[in-house]
Amino acid sequence: MATLKYKLIPQGAAEGRVPINLIFVDKKDVVNAGITYRQACEAIAKNFKEPAAIDIIDMDAITVTSDGIVVDYAVVAFASIDYGMINRDFGFLSVSEQPYSEKLLEEEPHMKQWDAIDAYRGKRLFRGPNFEDRWPRVPHNETQTITGRIANNNTGSEMMNVVDMTEILVPAFGAIEIMKNGEVLIGVAGPEISVGIGMVVFETYGRIFNRSYGAGKTAHNSGLYAKTVKSDYPAIAGRKSTLAAYTIQALECGLIPGKDLGCSPAVLSIAKAIGAPIAFDNIEERAWIELESVGIHRKDLEAPSTPLSKEEVIAHADEIVPGISDGKLFKVADIVKECEAEF
Amino acid sequence: MKLMHTKLPDFKRKVAEAGKKLRPETEVELRGLENMESAKLASLRVGRIEEEIIEITQDPNVAKVEVTVLPQIPETIHTVVIKGIQKDGTSKKTILESMFITTPAPECYYYDSEEVDDRRVSYD
Repeated sequence: MATLKYKLIPQGAAEGRVPINLIFVDKKDVVNAGITYRQACEAIAKNFKEPAAIDIIDMDAITVTSDGIVVDYAVVAFASIDYGMINRDFGFLSVSEQPYSEKLLEEEPHMKQWDAIDAYRGKRLFRGPNFEDRWPRVPHNETQTITGRIANNNTGSEMMNVVDMTEILVPAFGAIEIMKNGEVLIGVAGPEISVGIGMVVFETYGRIFNRSYGAGKTAHNSGLYAKTVKSDYPAIAGRKSTLAAYTIQALECGLIPGKDLGCSPAVLSIAKAIGAPIAFDNIEERAWIELESVGIHRKDLEAPSTPLSKEEVIAHADEIVPGISDGKLFKVADIVKECEAEF
Repeated sequence: MKLMHTKLPDFKRKVAEAGKKLRPETEVELRGLENMESAKLASLRVGRIEEEIIEITQDPNVAKVEVTVLPQIPETIHTVVIKGIQKDGTSKKTILESMFITTPAPECYYYDSEEVDDRRVSYD
């Protein structure tokens, strides 16, 4: 009988802040076990009979945050399990690799990070599932898996229990910290993240959308309501200094928020602090309404200020980067249970 | 081939009759169609469901049949009709919006059964 290692953040972890069982699997462990991603999820389901969301993560690959920051980890498959089962048609999704091409970089300016950042060059890219991965889902379906009570949405970053109707967000920087056994900031998403989630970039087979909204636009398009739509959900985020470091790395590639990168409150705040250009006129009016509703005003961003150094922005990230209410830092080792599934 | 369709009230009656055919005291519960006022159901599937209800009740120990109708895709897209109605009952404007709804998947309804025989439409 062989075993497969996985990390479990159990329901109730982090002093009750986590409402849903979350399982993270290192792709290398699946490969070493000699089984497919789906078989790995089935093995975990048979061992762990409770409702849970599963993300299988490749730490040697890259993916993209919703606002266009390239990060060095990727969800390569995800699943929903419940009652020891995986729904036949909708319980599992794999994510196909997106090959490097000049056309991709031309169409999607934020992907210049792939070439410009030494650590990313040559790495494999995984974002969201393509049409074949998604079958039998149709284009209007979200990129989610569903079994029993659990839906694992937006390529393994928003997990829901559709019976008790709890939900949790696991943004990219939180997932990276979980896999690296670092530290995570767990709190309530708050209005700034609620608005920021809608400030996406144009991508083919993105983690959330396929060729939909470009930088400077708002996918929410809901005016003053955008700050409310996800503001009260718990989130497992990374340290704000980590988010700042990755965002500065993207800005240093010459990418401009509102034109090349999404105009999320976090990206705009970091760009302002470090003195990077912002494509003010390319940010549509509907996006400004949402940004201003959370205190991000164009006149403040355009006002003269003394740019901080990269080191200063990272050191003061907690004050500069908005988002997460009632947050508390947790060592991943204190909230994760290392488990093994027999198969 | 000509596919005919069954009226919603007829489907409800047929489910109840099939459930009680072998033993009239069998309790029959039909769930999932409460929100529908009128509909047509594929007759081919109605006949199969009647026969499958008989198959389930052939076990003499079955005292109740639950028949739960769920969307086969647990995430469904709905049209939301937002309509303003004037004091005189007329309408000047309607906005149509989309709503995506994710509902509990079928496992929630059969997780405690010893045997599950999946006869649904396959996507392959």
